[in-house]
Amino acid sequence: MRTNNANGRGGRASVSAQPFQIRGRFITAIAIRLGNEDFDAAFYEALDEQLRQAPQLLLDAPLILDLGMVPGLTETAALRGLVDQLRGRDLQVFGVQNVSDPQAEVAAELGLIPVTIGRDIPAEKAGNGGRRKIDKLLPPDNKLITTPVRSGQVIFAERGDLTVVGSVSSGAELIASGNIHVYGTLRGRAIAGAHGNESARIFCLRQEAELLAIAGVYRTSESIGDTLRGQSLQVFLKDEGLHLEALT
Amino acid sequence: MTTQMKEKPPLGKIIVITSGKGGVGKTTSAAAISAGLAKLGHKTVVIDFDVGLRNLDMIMGCERRVVFDFINVIQGDARLKQALIKDKRLDTLYILPTSQTRDKDALTKEGVEAVLNELKEEFDYIICDSPAGIERGAQLAMYFADEAVVVTNPEVSSVRDSDRVLGLLASKTKRAESGSSEPVKARVLLTRHDQARIDKGEMMTVDDVLEILAVPLIGIIPESQAVLRASNVGTPVILDEPSSAGMAYEDTVARLTGQDIEIRIGEERRPGLLQRLFGRTS
Repeated sequence: MRTNNANGRGGRASVSAQPFQIRGRFITAIAIRLGNEDFDAAFYEALDEQLRQAPQLLLDAPLILDLGMVPGLTETAALRGLVDQLRGRDLQVFGVQNVSDPQAEVAAELGLIPVTIGRDIPAEKAGNGGRRKIDKLLPPDNKLITTPVRSGQVIFAERGDLTVVGSVSSGAELIASGNIHVYGTLRGRAIAGAHGNESARIFCLRQEAELLAIAGVYRTSESIGDTLRGQSLQVFLKDEGLHLEALT
Repeated sequence: MTTQMKEKPPLGKIIVITSGKGGVGKTTSAAAISAGLAKLGHKTVVIDFDVGLRNLDMIMGCERRVVFDFINVIQGDARLKQALIKDKRLDTLYILPTSQTRDKDALTKEGVEAVLNELKEEFDYIICDSPAGIERGAQLAMYFADEAVVVTNPEVSSVRDSDRVLGLLASKTKRAESGSSEPVKARVLLTRHDQARIDKGEMMTVDDVLEILAVPLIGIIPESQAVLRASNVGTPVILDEPSSAGMAYEDTVARLTGQDIEIRIGEERRPGLLQRLFGRTS
């Protein structure tokens, strides 16, 4: 026993001798997108007004300057003046984004980090479009599940149809870019046409679903109603509405 | 009996008693099943995985004999032999209690595996009493299991939680992750079954539950006063005076050991003819 304990302690000591540990961290930062290159009294007045209205939002939050709309701002002095003014207002500027090469150099002189993650909405849309083009080039990838889908499970068929042979429990989620087929009771959620395919359909042998959705148009069990409960049916979009039709 | 043990190697089968939802009867079932297996002569140990909310030792009536616990063994502060408590009623039954002062973070996958491997060398059945929930304690209780008994009450929230647990058994266990071996053999144990309330439509029927969970049934335990009584005196219901619940657990244990016994629905008391007539008309 004793020797065991001593060994244990020795082991622990060597572990705690490690000088540092590396940890991944996500932080939320505020971005200020600059609209023009003149940082005059009117600019700071507007900023002060913003600070008065919502001080919690900006004060002490890590802050990024978005230079995407001011490509002409390449002078060290101008940027330094701006940063000093912002810091004077307790705003914690630490980085820049959407910068050109000369701007990156200037920012580096001031100790600001060029940030490339965290795209704003228009950029994300462009990214998605690019990915969707790639998706179209890839062959469809249909998914077949032959075991019951349990509560809490999410099955995602990213490029194609999803077929489940068995039932789908309440609290489970099926998502497919194409059609969804359930050869069993559908008690969970089914989301077909997840990337916007409006001709996608949902088929099931027995409908007791919590939610049915096609291309973003959805109905919950409450709005599906009881008349079609327990029936075999197909679900499709027609006149921008979700239609449920019994399969006979 | 002991000479018999030495002749054949121990079975070393790990069975987790789990449910997701709390209060459905996991610990009661773990105590009854382990006592039942021991009664049949199988060398059995029951482990409490509910670190911080230690209950099994009380149900087993050995709470005053706890010196070292599961966590002490995992952390190397005690040997397994020191922590195992031998039951006073059955000489083939052992209890490995857990710590009341620590929390689930004290459990490590390697530590649990080492303890289970050591127990496998000596025991036929290793019963893991899982905590409620699906967090660390519950996941480690099921991770090394060969079989699972999913304790379910005939009501919707319990059934949904059991369904979630069945999903985890099929994906987050050693057997599921290795891919090559057989999946964890999971079966449902329906507890607190009350035929009168089912007839009134207040509870789900057995068929409804099985249709949703889509795994075989291992037993139906009737709602019984005997269960609460047994818990309070610290005796597994199977070892207490004869009761419908005790008999239902004995059938369940027989099915666990591979016997083919027809499922029957026990009742607390046989209502008299008049009572039955009134029950029907109301």
